Amino acid sequence: MAVAQDDAPLARAPLEASSFSALEAWLASELQADRVVVKTAVLLAGGAVQQNWRLDVTVDGGPRAGSHQWVLRTDAAASLDVSLDRVSEFRCIEAASKAGVKVAEPIVASADLSLIGRAFAIQALVAGGAQGRRIVRDPALPQFGDALAREIGGELARIHSVRPTGGTLSFLPVPVVNPSRREVATLRRGLDSASEPRPALEYILSWLDANAPEPRAVTLVHGDFRTGNYMIDAGRLTAVLDWEFCHWGDPREDLGWFIARCWRFGNDDKVAGGIAKLASLLDGYNAVAEFKVSAAELAYFEVLAAARWAAISLLQGDRFIRNGERSLELALTGLMPPEMEWDALDIIDRLAQRGRVT
Amino acid sequence: MSQPHRKLGADALLDLVAEAFKSEIGPSLPADKRYLAAMIGNAIEIARREFAVEEEALAFRLLDHVYDDGDGTVLQLAREIRSGAVNDATHPGLRAQLKAHLVEELKVRNPRFLTGRGAKT
Repeated sequence: MAVAQDDAPLARAPLEASSFSALEAWLASELQADRVVVKTAVLLAGGAVQQNWRLDVTVDGGPRAGSHQWVLRTDAAASLDVSLDRVSEFRCIEAASKAGVKVAEPIVASADLSLIGRAFAIQALVAGGAQGRRIVRDPALPQFGDALAREIGGELARIHSVRPTGGTLSFLPVPVVNPSRREVATLRRGLDSASEPRPALEYILSWLDANAPEPRAVTLVHGDFRTGNYMIDAGRLTAVLDWEFCHWGDPREDLGWFIARCWRFGNDDKVAGGIAKLASLLDGYNAVAEFKVSAAELAYFEVLAAARWAAISLLQGDRFIRNGERSLELALTGLMPPEMEWDALDIIDRLAQRGRVT
Repeated sequence: MSQPHRKLGADALLDLVAEAFKSEIGPSLPADKRYLAAMIGNAIEIARREFAVEEEALAFRLLDHVYDDGDGTVLQLAREIRSGAVNDATHPGLRAQLKAHLVEELKVRNPRFLTGRGAKT
């Protein structure tokens, strides 16, 4: 697991002291060690949905003998319906790692609640920072942005080399309909429970349903690959983070999400995640990918990305409206859908003017 | 101030702001600022009422494009767009009307977004 170096420790409090011995004994067994000692466990900032703990660990004997810095990530007390649990997420990270994707090395995971009271996964600590706004405002971005985008393109293509064969990720449902239309159906189900009807968003979803392109392949899709969810150190990518929305789908969905205007953090002219021009991202992608992707075919997936973030924002607002979480941040997020809706309608307008769609 | 809200908007935001102002800012003010604080509280209440009226008028402008005068609700429009009963063929200019409605919403929610997009207002 990777965490930003600038993440401040929230507390010195360890995980429940009583759980240490059970965790240490289990780790020793899993790692074929004589003994494992968790010297410190520090809760890290961030992670509204789940907790991240930095562990300083000593392993005696076995293939991992030595001192290590790891990150233990727990399941959330209340997780989002669509997100994977820690162990499933861990399996996705393992599959991506085997495919050559840069991730924080996956160590172990367990759903056994007797160990620390929650399911958890442990990964190696990775150096670097991941804050989106900090990355796009880095004065050195002109020097490293295009190379970083090419690198990211290559990572995405390696993720998309993982296919639903072999059975290692058999817990992920393989889409039986067009994966983009499946995504539209999922978003509509979410909107059914929303407190505010959004005619523009319904229009966009109808457009997405009617214009869904056939996928050339169904692949592993990260589901949340954007600036802010990868770690960089000195301008180089060190790890792809946050795999909890992993699923089988159309690989172009990841590219559309990465370039969506809402994830450029104000660097609108740098289409590739606010860090570089789109051509750099696609150069890196197409150098590795089995199925090449053109800029033109990504417009649909940009609309899909905008619709998805609009729906998620609306539902975040409902945590205040419906669930009574009195947070100004949630309320302000809930007011954002018109921004993404406007962007989506603008793309549809441009496509219609070019005669590509109705 | 912590009454439930039907929807997220100016009213709900001003409620949160008023609550934070009363519970966290107000008590720390010196006595000579309390009259000013009371006026601010009053102004927030006036703004809440005014925004409520404007949001309704905004919705009516969109609905008037689709339904006979005075008929229809935003929920009905959302449902009929999803079902296909309302579309570009049945209501030419629908997309432009929806976009114009978003512009009106964004004038309140985030005017800087419109400036950044060079949107016609």
